[in-house]
Amino acid sequence: MKNSWIIALRELKERMRSKSFIAMAIVGPLLVLGITYMLFALGGKNKTHWNVLITDPNAIMQAKIMAQEDATVSYDFANDYIEIEDFANNPRFQKYDAMLEVNEKILNNKTAFLFYREKPSMQMATRVQYQFERRLEELMIAQFTSLSVSDFRKIKQPINVAMRNVYDPRDEASDMSGWVGFFFGGVILLFIFLFGMTILRSISKEKSNRIVEVLLASVKPRQLMLGKIMGIGIAAFLQFALWILFVGIGLYVMRETLFPDLLDASKMDVVQMTEAMKNQTLQEQMLSAKEYNQFVELIYERIRFGNMLGYFALFLAVGYLFYGTFFAALGAVSGSESDGQQFVIPLIALLFLALYAGHYALNNPTAELTSWFSYIPFTSPVVCMVKLAQGYPEGQGYLIYVSFLILLVSSMLVLWAAGRLYKNGILQFGHRLGFKQLFKWISRA
Amino acid sequence: MLKLEAISKSFYQKLALDEVSLNLEEGEIFGLLGPNGAGKTTLIRIINRIVEQDKGVVRFKNELMNNKHLAQIGYLPEERGLYRTMTVYDHALFLGRLRGMSKNDVNTNFNYWVDKFEIGDWRKKRIEELSKGMAQKVQFICTVLHQPQLLILDEPFSGFDPINVELIQQELKEMKAQGKTIMLSSHNMKSVEEICDRVALIHQSKKILEGRVSQIRESRKDGNFAVRFSGSMIAFVNALWTGFELVDKEILGDNRFVAYVKMRGENNFQDLLQVLLGQIQIEAAWEVLPSIQEVFIQEINHSNQTQDEK
Repeated sequence: MKNSWIIALRELKERMRSKSFIAMAIVGPLLVLGITYMLFALGGKNKTHWNVLITDPNAIMQAKIMAQEDATVSYDFANDYIEIEDFANNPRFQKYDAMLEVNEKILNNKTAFLFYREKPSMQMATRVQYQFERRLEELMIAQFTSLSVSDFRKIKQPINVAMRNVYDPRDEASDMSGWVGFFFGGVILLFIFLFGMTILRSISKEKSNRIVEVLLASVKPRQLMLGKIMGIGIAAFLQFALWILFVGIGLYVMRETLFPDLLDASKMDVVQMTEAMKNQTLQEQMLSAKEYNQFVELIYERIRFGNMLGYFALFLAVGYLFYGTFFAALGAVSGSESDGQQFVIPLIALLFLALYAGHYALNNPTAELTSWFSYIPFTSPVVCMVKLAQGYPEGQGYLIYVSFLILLVSSMLVLWAAGRLYKNGILQFGHRLGFKQLFKWISRA
Repeated sequence: MLKLEAISKSFYQKLALDEVSLNLEEGEIFGLLGPNGAGKTTLIRIINRIVEQDKGVVRFKNELMNNKHLAQIGYLPEERGLYRTMTVYDHALFLGRLRGMSKNDVNTNFNYWVDKFEIGDWRKKRIEELSKGMAQKVQFICTVLHQPQLLILDEPFSGFDPINVELIQQELKEMKAQGKTIMLSSHNMKSVEEICDRVALIHQSKKILEGRVSQIRESRKDGNFAVRFSGSMIAFVNALWTGFELVDKEILGDNRFVAYVKMRGENNFQDLLQVLLGQIQIEAAWEVLPSIQEVFIQEINHSNQTQDEK
C-alpha cells in the first residue's frame, strides 16, 4: 500500500503541474457559471408577473404566504380541491398562470405540485418555490416550537415542488428539478471521461517510454495500477474542489452584481421569521438570518446542495474507480497508443449510454427501465443523480444505497479483473490488441 | 547468494525456460549469455519477481526469495526508460522511495554518485533535456542508489558509447571489490570476457553451458598459436611446410605480421618455434584461446545441429 501511495503522489504531482489541470480549473467553473446565468437570465418564457392560485382544502397555509406584496407574484387561495382539468379549461381560472396544490400531507412528505400553463422561467419558479418554502417553515416552527434545535433542522428539509404542465400533467419531464441531477450526473461523466483518459494516457506513456519494468521490479502490478488510479483520482477531486470554490465565489459575485433584485429575501422574511423564532437563541437567529439572506444559499437550497453534494462525491468517487479501472486496464493491454485509441471507443460509447440513461430517467422517472438504469453500474452514477434530484418516492430513499452498493461491489470486481489484465498485459509491447488476447490475459492468473 | 533451482516457465504452451539452474556466488560477476529469444530476460524477470515461474525455486541468501529481498536487488532492465518531464533528482527520490529508502538516504547516496559521475549540474534538469548517454547514467545511478547486494543488469552496455561502457565497467569492478554480486546479460562479448568471472549460456530455453570464463576458453582451445614476427611472409610459410597450417594472418606494417598457426600431427609449440628460428625475426609468440564469442557461436551451432539430427 505504501508503494501505491508513492506512485499516487508522483502522479498527483505531475497532474498538478500540467497546464491542462490549471486550464480546466478555470474553464470548467466558467462554463458552469455561464450555464447558471443562462438558466436564470434567459431560461423559460419570461413573463414578468404571475398569478398563482393556491388550493389548500385544509387551510394549512391560513391564506397567507408573505408579509409584504411581491411585485412579480400574486397569490390567491382556494379552500377546496380543484380538478386539474377544471383548472385547465374553466374560464374562471384562466387569469391564473399556475395552481399550487397543497394537501394535508405536505408537512410530512414535503412535496407539492405546481401546475403551470406556460413553463415558468427559472427565476419565477425559484421565486415561487422559495416563498412557499418560507411560509411552510413558519408553519412548521409554529407547530413545533417545543422541539429541539436538531429536530427543527430535521424539519427544515427543503420542499420539493414538482412542476407539471397543466395540459399534460402526466408529462413528468416538465419537472425541472431533475435537470439539476442530470447536470450533476453530466459533471460526473465529464470528470470520469477526462480523468479516465488521463489514466489511459499516463499508463500507455509509461509503457512506451519503458519505465514500467523499472517500477515493476519494486511494485506489484496491482499496486502500480491502484496507485495510478488513486493519484489521478485525487487530482480529480482537487479539481472538483477548485470548481466548487470558483463556482461558489462566482455565484456570490453574480448575486451581488447581475441579479441584485432577483429575490431580495431579507425584505420578505426577516420580520416574520423573528416573530416565529422568538424562542430561539440569538445565535440561531443570526444563523437563520444569514441563511435567508444569500442568493447563493438559495441556489444551494433549491438544488439541495448539501445532500446532492454528498452523494455526488460518493458517486463520483466510486464511478470514477469503476470506469477508471477500465481505462487503466486498457492502457496496460494496448500494444501501442493507437491501439488504446481504438479500444477506447466502446468505453466512450458506454459513457454516452450513461448520459442517455440520465436523460431517459429525466423524462420517465417512474419507468421500469429507469430503475434498471439506476442499478446498472455503467449508468447508475448519472441516473441516481437524476433520481435524487427528482426526489425518491417516500419510503424508497434506501434505493440509492442499493445502487451505490452495487456500484461499489462491481468496482471491486472490475478492479480484480483489471489487475489480471494489467499484470499480463503491461510487459507486452508492440502487439496488435485483439479480443482473443484480452480473454487469454484475463483468464490467466 | 542467489540460487536458481530447475526454473521452468512457459507462456501459452510455449516453453520459455526449461529447468534452468544457476548458482551465483557472493562477490562475483556472472554473465548470462544467449541469442535473442533464448529466455534470458524471462529468467531475469523471474528473479525480480516480475514474472512468476511455473516450476522451480529461487533462493536469495539461502532463503526462499520473497518481496522483502527486492530491496536488496538493483535491476536495470533492457527496456528501460525515465519520465521525460521529471527532473533527475525527482527520479532518484521517487525510485529510491519505492525501494524503501528514506529521503535522507536518497540524498546522501545521490550526492555521492552525482559527484562521482561529475553531473552535479544536471540535478534539476528534466530528462527530456538530457542526451541519451546522460539519461543512461541517470538510469544507472537510480539502479544502484539503494546500495543493492545483488545487481542485475540486462544489456547494460547497449546504446552506451565506448567511454560510458568503460565507465560502467569500472564501476562494476569496483562494486565487485566491495563484495557485491552482479549478474549481467549482454551481447557485448568483449565486455563479458573482460569483466565476468563466470558465464552461463542459454539457448532455446535450456542452459547449455556454465563455467568460469578462463576454464571455458581453456577447455575449448584447439592448438592454435600466434607468432608476431618481422621478415618475409613467404619464408614463414615455407618454414611451416607440412607440419603446421597457417590459419590466419594480420599485417602490422612493412614486413611485420602476426600469423595464426595450427599444429598438425604430433607437433607442438616447441617444434613450431624451432622451425621458425633463423627464418624470421620472432618478436612474440603465444597460445590463442578461443574468445567467448567463438565459444558462444560454436555452442549454439552445435546445439542447433544436434537439434536437427533429432
